Parts: sequence; C-alpha cells; structure tokens
Amino acid sequence: MPSVREIRRRIRSVENTAKITKAMSMIAASKMRRTQETALQGRPYSERLRDLLSHLAAQERDEDEPHPLLRRREARTVTMVLITPDRGLTGGLHSKINRAAAQFIVEQSASTRLVTIGRKGRDFMARTGQEVQAVFTDLGDRPSILDVTPAASIVIDDFTAERVDAVYIAYADFVSTTVQTPVVRPLLPVVPADLRPEEAVGYIYEPTGERVLSELLPRFVELELYHAVLESVASEQSARMVAMRNATDNANEMIVDLTLEMNKARQENITTELLDIVGGAAAVGA
Amino acid sequence: MANGRVTQVIGTVVDVEFPPEEMPSIFNAVETDVDGQKLVLEVEQHVGNNWVRCLALGPTDGLKRGAEALDTGRPISVPVGDPTLGRLFNALGDPIDNLEEVESDERWPIHRQPPSFDQQATEVEMLEMGIKVMDLIAPFTRGGKVGAYGGAGTGKTVIIQELIRNIGTEHEGVSVFAGVGERSREGNDLMNEMQESGVLGSTVLVFGQMNEPPGIRARVGMTGVTMAEYFKETREQDVLLFVDNIYRYILAGMEVSALLGRMPSAVGYQPTLSTEMGDLEERITSAGAGSITSFQAIYVPADDYTDPGIVTTFGHLDAVISLDRALVEQGLYPAVDPLASSSRILEPSIVGQDHYDAARGVQQVLQRYRDLQDIIAILGVEELSDEDRQTVARARKIQRFLTQPFFVAEQFTGQEGRYVSVKDTVRGFQEILAGKHDDLPEQAFYMVGGIEEAVEKAERMRAES
Repeated sequence: MPSVREIRRRIRSVENTAKITKAMSMIAASKMRRTQETALQGRPYSERLRDLLSHLAAQERDEDEPHPLLRRREARTVTMVLITPDRGLTGGLHSKINRAAAQFIVEQSASTRLVTIGRKGRDFMARTGQEVQAVFTDLGDRPSILDVTPAASIVIDDFTAERVDAVYIAYADFVSTTVQTPVVRPLLPVVPADLRPEEAVGYIYEPTGERVLSELLPRFVELELYHAVLESVASEQSARMVAMRNATDNANEMIVDLTLEMNKARQENITTELLDIVGGAAAVGA
Repeated sequence: MANGRVTQVIGTVVDVEFPPEEMPSIFNAVETDVDGQKLVLEVEQHVGNNWVRCLALGPTDGLKRGAEALDTGRPISVPVGDPTLGRLFNALGDPIDNLEEVESDERWPIHRQPPSFDQQATEVEMLEMGIKVMDLIAPFTRGGKVGAYGGAGTGKTVIIQELIRNIGTEHEGVSVFAGVGERSREGNDLMNEMQESGVLGSTVLVFGQMNEPPGIRARVGMTGVTMAEYFKETREQDVLLFVDNIYRYILAGMEVSALLGRMPSAVGYQPTLSTEMGDLEERITSAGAGSITSFQAIYVPADDYTDPGIVTTFGHLDAVISLDRALVEQGLYPAVDPLASSSRILEPSIVGQDHYDAARGVQQVLQRYRDLQDIIAILGVEELSDEDRQTVARARKIQRFLTQPFFVAEQFTGQEGRYVSVKDTVRGFQEILAGKHDDLPEQAFYMVGGIEEAVEKAERMRAES
C-alpha cells in the first residue's frame, strides 16, 4: 500500500493537471464561440456561390471544351488536401481525420500525394511514409483567405496542368459542439449540382458567362478550401473544449478517489500507532 | 527423567515447577496428561523459582494445576527416513492418516542448528518451472528459496500446488510438504491429488493447520524442515520443500509471545520476530552434497508489504513472487506482478543474455504502461503519441501472455493446464517485444501456453468472427 506522502504527492500532481486542463477548456470555449460563428456565417455564402456556379455551368455547358477545372479524367494520380489541427489535446479529433484520410488513400487505387494544412496531418503522413507535396502550418484560429490561397493555387495549377487527375479534401466537418465528423470529399474537378427545374431560369451574364465562370471557378475552389479550414478550426476548438472538460472531470474524480485512499492510509497509520502505544503500555503495566 | 508439577496455565502457555537440580533444558519436551490424553509441552524459558515456562503443543482445556509433568530429557523428535515417505504427520511426528504406526529407526529433534557458513552451497543453476511469468521474471535456483507473496485469495496456494505438479512430478528426489496454519481441507485435497498422480510415495506431508493451537503451528514448519534435512544430509538427495504458509508461523509466534511474557513490538509482533524467522529460514538451505529447494507461500496481511512480519521474510529469499490483487480483479491468473517480482539469479551470466533482455524488456514495457495509466485515465488513450500507443498495446498483450492455464486450476478455468519451457517462454516474449505479433488481437494472448498457441487462437478468433 502506498504511503500517505506518496498519495498526497500524486493528488497534487493530478490537481495541477486538472488546473491546466480546466484553463485549456476555458480558453477553447471562448475561442470556440468565435470560430463556430465564423464557420456558420461562411456557410450561406458558399452555398449561394455553389448555386450560382451550378447555374453558370448549366448555361455554359460546352460538352467538347469544358472549363479546365470542370474536366473529368480517369484518376491515376490524386492530391489530397488534409486539413488537421496543429496541436493535440483534442480528444482524438486529429486521429479520426487521419484515419479517415488513410483509409481513403488505401481504398482507392490511384497514387496519392498530399498537401497538408496543420501539423498533425503532416506528422501522421510523414510517419506513414506518404508523399507530402506541400505543408502549411500555423494558420492560427482566425485564418484569413490569404492563408489558403497558396494551397489552392498548388492544387489548381497541378490540376490544370494535368499533373493530377483529381483533388480531394479531408477535414473535420463541424456539426455541433459535441459532434465533428471526418469528411473526405472531392474538390476538383468541380462538379456543379444539378439544377432543379424551377431554378433553371436563364440569366444574362456580363460580359459573358464563360468569362464569369473562368473567373469564378478558381475563387470557388479557394473558398471551398477556406471554408473547410474554418470548419476544421471550429471543430478543433469544440473538440478541445469538450476533451479538456472531460479531462478535468476525470482528474477531479481521480482526486476524490485518491483522497479517500489517502485518508484510509492515514487512519490506518494512526490505528497502528495507537495499538502499539496501548499494547506497549499494557505490557509494561502488567 | 524428572517429574514436575503444573503450576500455572495461561491459555496455551503452561508453567511447570521442577526440582531445582533437575530443571529440564530449553526446548525439552515435557509430557503431561489431560483426562487421559497425552499433552506435550515444550520448554521455552526458565522463569525462576524453579519454574519453566512451556508452550503447549495441543489443547490445554482441562489441564489442572498440580498435574504431573514428566521431562522426557530431550526435545520433540520426529521420525525421519524412508518409513515417512507417503505418510501424513502432525507437528509431533505422529501419523494422522489412519494407517499403521511408523516404524522408523531414527528420530531427529525438530530443533537443529543451521548449516554453518562454510558449508553452504554456492553453485547456481536455474530450475525450470514451466510457468511463463515465473520462469521469465523470477527464475528459481536449484537449492534456492522462493517466496510467493500475496494477500488473501490471490492464489498463493494454487501456485504452490501447480509447482508441486510441475516440479514435484518430474522431480526425481523426495518432496516434503509442510502445511502451516492453512485450511485443513486443502491438506486433504493435496493428499488425494498426490495419490492420484502417483507422487505420494516419494512425498512426506506434515500438517499443522488452522484448527490447531498456536504451539503446533509454531513448530510444524520445523518438523517439515527436519524431515527434509534428513534426506539432504544423510542421503545427500535434492529435496523439494513446500511450505504453505510461512506467515502463519510468524502469527503463531505472535499469539504466544505475549503469553510467554514478551513485550509486543511494532504492530504487535513478537520482539523476537527476526530471530524466530531466522531459526526456521536459515535451516532451509543447501549445504554439502544434498540440497533443499524450497517454495514458500507468504500471506501478506491487508496487502501491506511494509508489514514487519513480511519485511523479515524478504531477506531470506532468492526469488520473490509477488501476487497482486489488481491483477486478480482483471482475471489475469497467475496474478504475479512482474514489476514487483524478482530473482537474485536474473543476470545475463546465469540465465543468458536473451532471457535477461526479454525479462527486462517486458518489465520496461509494463513500467511504461503503468506510468502512462494516469494520463490515459485523465486524457484518454487518444492523446498518446503513436509510439506510446504501441507500447500500451504491447503491454496489454504481454500482460495477457503472462497468464497461463494451470493444471491444478482446471476445474476453475475449464481449460487444461500448459507447461511452457523456458526457451519457448523467452522466445514468445522476444517476439512480442519485437513487434512480430502487433497485428494479433490482445485476447488471443490470454490463457495460452506458447506463442504458437496465441497465433493459432488469433486465427481461430478470426475464423469465428
């Protein structure tokens, strides 16, 4: 049985851990609100943009010569943009994304290279021996669209130059504070959604639909990427908040258990000493 | 042969007055009778006024002051040699198996001197037990002493009995089993089992179980040792001595200590604790041509390894098997704690480099797992680095591979026991440590023999799912 002093030392160490995790959970909570707002506010814009794109693509459907970013090819090489947090202590969020990404890579036959945004993904892919083409880290928790432009231009350039045949994006989709689901979905070629009949109204674009489309498509890709990053950041902060709160709870529970154990050990010591004194006194007295 | 008279009876301690010129020596047996039953007393102290203070080796109910007591002139002695084989004795050397009297030419006193320093054997040779965790972590020495420590219900007796099965049956020499203050039923079971396996003919059983008065429990260990000593010294044989349970010997001493007029020491133990321990343990050694290899179960009161009674035993042993309640709770049998168990001979020069490395490697992985346990409890296993997660996975596999079905526990596990050679044990752990079996589910390692069986079990599990 460990001595009282040993247990007390352990309690102190667990208490310190609890303090840290509590602070982290509070920081994450405040960041979480902001990042969630940003992610949610971005959603209507990217949805509208998608609608617009669908319209345009439907109107400008040129079967022989589609826009380079719309061209479908047989996928021989693909690029995956892996968006993960930079830091851990998110209760397995990054390993969930990494696992989903790894599974995707294993399941499809094409050779894959990676563009990673965030350290955890980079570390994982480097360790498992995947080809990592580009690495972006330290986007912080308020990334601007300028932070993702380089990544976007890499995949757009590669795709247009036909160095890769498809681009996928893997990130944690923010569903709610407690639920974040890893998502792997195609980014390039851009697949415009089918129009519902009532929406199939003809618009007139200035100067031409084609010009607008070629302007819009790269921006759309960029925005999709940016939006994924925002979702990922929101997921990260939410996951961290929850994980750290659980950790604090666990630590507190452990402190309760250890305190009980310590009190028992202390009481036992006292009893033993008392018995010794009483026994000794009785023996001397007899 | 002096006659004395009982002058005082305090429970199990009896004072007898003798004529001044004929005082019996210390440890002499004094006989008296209680309602026609013979009662043997052993002289422990001369207390003055021509009184001797004696320990009763039997119940003192009905003993009267003034009863006659006869000094036999010599210590309690027990029959030794061939006639004792296959028989069951009490501490006084009387057969208790309802068979014919033991006709032995020789009787030896139960109090004897331990072998002197220069006679002690120094050769070291490992003795295989066929139990993975013990062979790996706490290898036994031929002629050495091993203690199995554990709290109540952690499986000390089962381990002792498995050892009797594994070594006793393959062992060519004589075995002596001393039952000290344990359950009487177990003694019965043991005898029947030995009869069935046919080893009873080369075994001596001595029992002073928990229903006996403390005087008996304090002496039955010595009776067993004396019988073992005979085969070692005069026959120069290799003798196996099993003692279950040494702690009851200490406890019996404690029960009578205050009655003998000694002041209690720490935690109520007798002040002569280490002396008493030394008297018994020092005799269990290998000296000269013969050897005594002993296996002792040691009960740990309240799972407290710092208890003075426990601490005094540690120094006497060559190997320590420590049983852990936490492992019992997880169903990991035998519940040997690989981090708390040790052996003096776990050195590369004795067991070989491979064995040593495997044992230390296992301990390292398990230690790391233990260190990580707090982190896992607070942050969850997800937060560990991949390297640590692999360590945890391997540690859990090792923990399971350290379990083993026992032959004597077949009725509990429903599984036939396994005997695993040291070579297979070492190879199995080497392979797990090297990551050769990282892909197998951890359950495949539970309750199997060699590593091949784990692989087979994994395949079977895969086929079933």
